[in-house]
Parts: sequence; C-alpha cells; structure tokens
Amino acid sequence: MTLAERIDAFLAWAEQWARGLYHGMVAHPAYEKIEKEAEDIEDTFMLACFPDAFGIPSPVSYYTAELLPYLEDEFEAWERRMWDRGSLLERKGQQYHF
Amino acid sequence: MREFVFFGGKGGVGKTTVSSAYALKCARAGVDTLVVSTDPAHSTSDVFDQQFSDDPSPVEGVDDLHAMEIDPEEEVERHLMETRRAMGDQVSPAMVNEIDRQIEMAHQTPGAYESALFDRFIGVMRENDYERVVFDTSPTGGTLRLLSLPDLLEGWIDRLMHKRKQSVKLFERAAIGNNEPRRMMEGDPIIARLQERKELFEFAGDALRNRATFYLVVNPDELSIRETSRAVENLLDAGLSVEGLAVNKLTPEPDPDEQGRGARFLRDRVETERERLDTLRTEFDQPLVAEIETRVAEVKGNLLADVADELSIDVAADPAA
Repeated sequence: MTLAERIDAFLAWAEQWARGLYHGMVAHPAYEKIEKEAEDIEDTFMLACFPDAFGIPSPVSYYTAELLPYLEDEFEAWERRMWDRGSLLERKGQQYHF
Repeated sequence: MREFVFFGGKGGVGKTTVSSAYALKCARAGVDTLVVSTDPAHSTSDVFDQQFSDDPSPVEGVDDLHAMEIDPEEEVERHLMETRRAMGDQVSPAMVNEIDRQIEMAHQTPGAYESALFDRFIGVMRENDYERVVFDTSPTGGTLRLLSLPDLLEGWIDRLMHKRKQSVKLFERAAIGNNEPRRMMEGDPIIARLQERKELFEFAGDALRNRATFYLVVNPDELSIRETSRAVENLLDAGLSVEGLAVNKLTPEPDPDEQGRGARFLRDRVETERERLDTLRTEFDQPLVAEIETRVAEVKGNLLADVADELSIDVAADPAA
C-alpha cells in the first residue's frame, strides 16, 4: 500500500467515525427527542379519543371508535407506553441526554 | 316556512298528534312531506294505523305524505358492524381482540344512543328530497341535548384534529435521513375521517340554525308551561328559532244549559285553562299557533284531519329557504 492510499484509507475511516460520532451524540438524540414528544402528543390524542378505556364516558367515543381500525399501531404503542410509564417526570427525563 | 320543522315538548303533551296533523296538512296542500319520528317510543304508526320502518314509506290514503321511524338501536348496531368490518380489513389478528373490546365498549357508552340518533338525523336532512320534513322529536331533555351537539362536537373534533396533526408533523420531522417517517400527513386516514366528521357536524349546525323551525307543543298545565319556558330558553340559547307554541288537550266547554256535576267540573277546568292560556300569551314572545281541544277518541284518521284544520301554521314553502 502506498502512502497516498494509506492516507485515503485513514481519511475515510476518520470521516466515518466523525459522522457516526455526530449522529450518535447530536443528531440521533435530537430526533429521538422529537419522536418522544410526538409520542406524547399522540398519547394525549388517544386519551382524548378513548377516555372510556379508563372508565370515563365520553360523548364522542362513539365517533372516535370508527378511527380504531386505522389506529392499530398507535393503540398498541399507547397501551404499552401507558403500562411502563412510571411518571411524567421519568418520561420527560428520558428525553434528555446528559 | 322552512324546510325542516321540529315539534318538541314535554313527554305526553301530544307531539306526535300535532306533528302528524301538521304533516297531513302540508301533504294536503300539495307539499311533498316526510314525517320522521325520532322518539324511541314510536307512535306515528299508531296515529296512521300503519307500521312504518327505518326507511320512508308512503302513508296509505294520503298523497304526498311519507313517514319513517328512526330506530337508534339499529343504527348503533349498523355502526358497530361497519367499524368491525373496517377493523377486519385493517388490523392484524394479534390486535383484533384488543381493539374489538375497545370498539364494543364505545358502543355501550351512554352517549352512543344519542350519537346514533343524531347520525340518522343528519342523514335524513342530507339526503332529503322532500319539500318539507317534519320531525316528531323525543321529549324535551333528550332532543335539546341532541340539538346542542353540533357545536360541542365540532369543537371537540377540531381539537382532536389539531393534536393529530401536531404529532404527525413531529413524526415527520423525526424521520432521520431517508427513513420513512412513522406517520405521514399525506393520506393519513385519521385526519381524513376527522375532517369528514367535522363537515357533517358543520352541515348539521347550519341546517338546524338556518333551515329549520321549531314549535313546542304545550298542555294547559303548570308543569308543561314551565318546562316549555325552559325549552324555549335553551333553544334560543343554541341559536335555533322557535316560531310558536301549539296548545294541545284543551278542555271543551259544556253547553250553557247544562248544570250537572260534569258540566260544573268542565266549566271550572275551562276557567283555569283560560288563565293558563293568558299566561302563555303574555309570558312568551312566541305566538300560539294552535289551540286544540281534547278529543274523546284517540286522534287518528278523520280526527287527525280535524286537528290539522285547527293548526294555523303556514304550510307554503319559504321561497327564501
């Protein structure tokens, strides 16, 4: 391997690392945070749609029931999140990377 | 006269009689009329001596008159089946039970019945090809709640839609690089459905405010008058127009030469009712559009035509409507 080739290889390696580092430390956590925020809003939406899941009668659940067939993923994720969420503080804490 | 005419009032005051009589009057004047009973305890069938169903069917012996009886229970069932069918197409078998339970529950909530009734209401108004639709509504409380629904629901649906859009927007932003976002605004079935609902509610609100007239049927007794005054207030609060009051079940006056116990009773009764009528005339802004005497027999057949003659409610279609 010539010197020039070795330098190129090193540069490629360094670039990959730099990109990975940036993605892992800056980009990804930021996206994750946005996604979690989106999930939180979605939870509010689900709760507003189906409060009867918690025994609260709602005048619109008759109408929102027709959304359910299209909310499969959301519904499942919502239930899962409802189960393992210790507190709002814990959830919000997860959104910060120290 | 507007396209949709509603008759409301306390239970047992004779809404069905008055609304059927009015429908008959319209039909005889050559106005193509549909009478819709929304009271779960249907009695239109009894008045016309003919069984009606959820679909409009012609009233025998009267031209230009159709009748139907809304059955909310059937509508709830239909809605449930439809939602289930959509679920069958969409949802993976693993989640079906979970979601089915939720759907089932939503159809058992106290509001389901009212929502179903409301849906049918809107349906009838939307697919209307009659010149006049007369609604014989259920007793005051239920109907008033029903009619105040559009505003409430519109606001609610608006908020839901806002939330949904917010979360979808964030999901779109959170999609890294070429990754497909978890939800997309474009073609989102939830937003589309909410929008559809919203338009329905807007239509209902507009139809009730601008294309409908309300009459209240009242009996000459204290309770009925008080309830009517509350009803008028509520209707006006909701921005609906109350055109008049139809007084039903007035006591007939005996002949002057009759002096027996029955005659004395009737005379006293007529006297009190006259006072009540005065109260109605002075305390309400709405005019009395009918003063109907109690009949000895059930009001049906020819008697209904007599009652129809006693109604001084306009039948001609409103050119402005």
